[in-house]
This record gives sequence, structure tokens and C-alpha cells, in this order.
Amino acid sequence: MKNSKAKQALPILVLTVVVLIAVSVLSFTHDITKAAIAEQKDNKVKNMLKEMFPSIENYKYEDNLYTISSQDDIIGYAFLASGQGYGGEIEILVGLEDENTVKSIIIISQTETPGIGARITEKSFTSQFVNLPIDDIALSRDGGKIDALTGATISSNATVNAVRETSIEKVRLIKEVP
Amino acid sequence: MTRWRKDFLKGIIVSNPVFVLVLGLCPTLAISTSIDNALGMTMGVTIVLLGSNIIISAIRKIIPNSVRIPVFIVIIASFVTIVSLTFQAYFPDIYESLGIFLPLIVVNCIVLGRAEVFASKNSVFYSIADALGVAIGFMLALLIISFIRQLLGTGALTIFGNELFSLPGLVEHPLSIFIQAPGAFLVIALLMALFKHTGVIE
Repeated sequence: MKNSKAKQALPILVLTVVVLIAVSVLSFTHDITKAAIAEQKDNKVKNMLKEMFPSIENYKYEDNLYTISSQDDIIGYAFLASGQGYGGEIEILVGLEDENTVKSIIIISQTETPGIGARITEKSFTSQFVNLPIDDIALSRDGGKIDALTGATISSNATVNAVRETSIEKVRLIKEVP
Repeated sequence: MTRWRKDFLKGIIVSNPVFVLVLGLCPTLAISTSIDNALGMTMGVTIVLLGSNIIISAIRKIIPNSVRIPVFIVIIASFVTIVSLTFQAYFPDIYESLGIFLPLIVVNCIVLGRAEVFASKNSVFYSIADALGVAIGFMLALLIISFIRQLLGTGALTIFGNELFSLPGLVEHPLSIFIQAPGAFLVIALLMALFKHTGVIE
């Protein structure tokens, strides 16, 4: 009786021990990589902001909005926008020159169809946003200034809508805080 | 050493994970759109497969039969997480290009399959041979499939941002079905038929 009970408990015990070891190994890995991962993320944002605003000297992050400054002057704003594309979420970093004009955009991550929707990452598409008035962010068939990619209307539309809607929202926020 | 060689070689062609065992088709279908993805996936799978095969064969005698599958899954998932955190911290570029494919390795039947069929019954020494052979077989399959899909689907062959060559005419009008899911099924089925017909695989 005692023996069979011990026998029944053994699998549970082994599984528990394996899980405990796995958890400690993982939390150890998490601990030693945490700082490096945070640094990589920070560097990535810094590099992208520098790409958008070459004269950046400092930036402040508040309410999901990066305020870019150079010699105490605010030279622009940047924020993340995201939209639902054809194959998943599209994440975009949008830079504003001022309350009315887009500086440029960078597609941070997307899972659109390679060769079709994924072309939203290409310069030929993103360069259309450079120095574009916020009022003109719309596909040309909707009266805007952005030409949709051939065969990738959903991806183009998702990008354009995300940039426009988030820009309008952030501009309201910028205007609220003097 | 002859047995080691045998265990190593069998995974490459005779029991190729994709074309003969038909395992791990989900990630194979999903990522074989470019050579870059194929190489990245191979790297991730190789590290995880080697690690899980070694650990599982080392502790195979103390794992009770009734809980072996949960134990395997915990070990495999831990390895995937460790690889993913390490890449994220020290090789951000590779991590970026692998994206969703790294976590997908957890559900890759090849890794669990080798744990169940081989590592849980053989010593560490032979499990290493098995893992390496299967990883090479997986890489070969992925490279062949993604070569065809990328070339026909985009009209050009690009590896790590360098365009090797392009087919005039196809670049302007690529057969984009090949880069989409139906193309993956087509290519894999046709290749499998071809290999069987020519006697490369049984």
C-alpha cells in the first residue's frame, strides 16, 4: 500500500522538480539579459529618432509621445501608431515636424504578405509621407496624397489610417499642453 | 562510431523530417518564403533540438513514463525562451528577422518528435548525432522549398539584403501565389512527389 502510493506520487514529484528547475533557469536568464534587452530597445528608439531628426539632442517621453528637442527648442514630435493590416498588426513610428506636418514615418514591424503588402516598408511608399500636411494623409482615391501600393490596398489603407488617426489624436494632445 | 554515423546520417535524407516524416509542416509552410527565414529558422531549431535532445537523453532514466510528454514540453519551451531572450539581448538583428518564428519552435513537432522517438530511448552521445542529422535534414528541406518559393514568388533571389540574381520578366510580374500559403502546399507536394518518383526518398 505504502509502496504503491509512493509510486503514484513519483511522476508528480518528478514533473514538479523539472518545472521548478526550468523556472529557476528561466528567471536566471531573464535577470542576466534584462538590462541588455532594455538597452537594445532604448538604442533602437534612439537610432530611429536620430534617423528622423538628425539634429536631435535630447528627447522626452511622456504620454506615449516623444518630444524632440535641440538646444532647448522643440524640433518635433514622434509617437507610435498601429493598425490592423492584411496579415496582422502594423506598427509605425510617426514623426511630426509641427502640429500640421508629418516629418516622416518608419514602419517598425509588420507581417504583411512578402512581395505585396510588405512593400509598405519600402522607401517608395514611406517617402510619400515626408513633409506631408496632416490633412492630406489619405489614399489618393479618398482625396489624399498617398498612392496605394498595387495589389495591396488593405496594407496601404491600414498604414494611412493609422498614421492619420494617431496624428490627429496626438496633435490634440500637443495643443493642450502649451 | 559507425552507429554514431548512422544515427547522424539518417536524419538528412532517409528519414528527412519534412519530406519523409512529414513533421513540422506548420513552421515549414509559414517561413519558407525566403532563404533568410529558412536560415534563421534552421539556426533556432538546431540550438533548441540539440539542447533538448541532450537534456532529455541525460535524464531519460528518471522521467516516469506517464509524465514524459509534459516534461519534454517544459524542457523544449525553456530552451526556446532562453534562446529567444539571449538573441534579443545580444543579437538584436537576428532576433528581429526571426520575429514570430522563434516562439513557433515550441510547437515544432520535429523537436518533440525527436525527444519522444529518439532522445528518450538513447544515450546523450547518440542523441547529439540524431539532433545534428535531423537539423541538417530540416535545413536542406527548408532551403530547397524557400529557394523555389522566393525565386518564383518575387522573381529574384535575395540573401541578407544582397540580391544574387533576378529573372527578367518575373521581377515585373512575379508569380506571387508561390509566396503565399497555397504556393507552399504546391511546392512541398510537388517536391515530395518528385523525390519519391526519382527514388531519392522512399
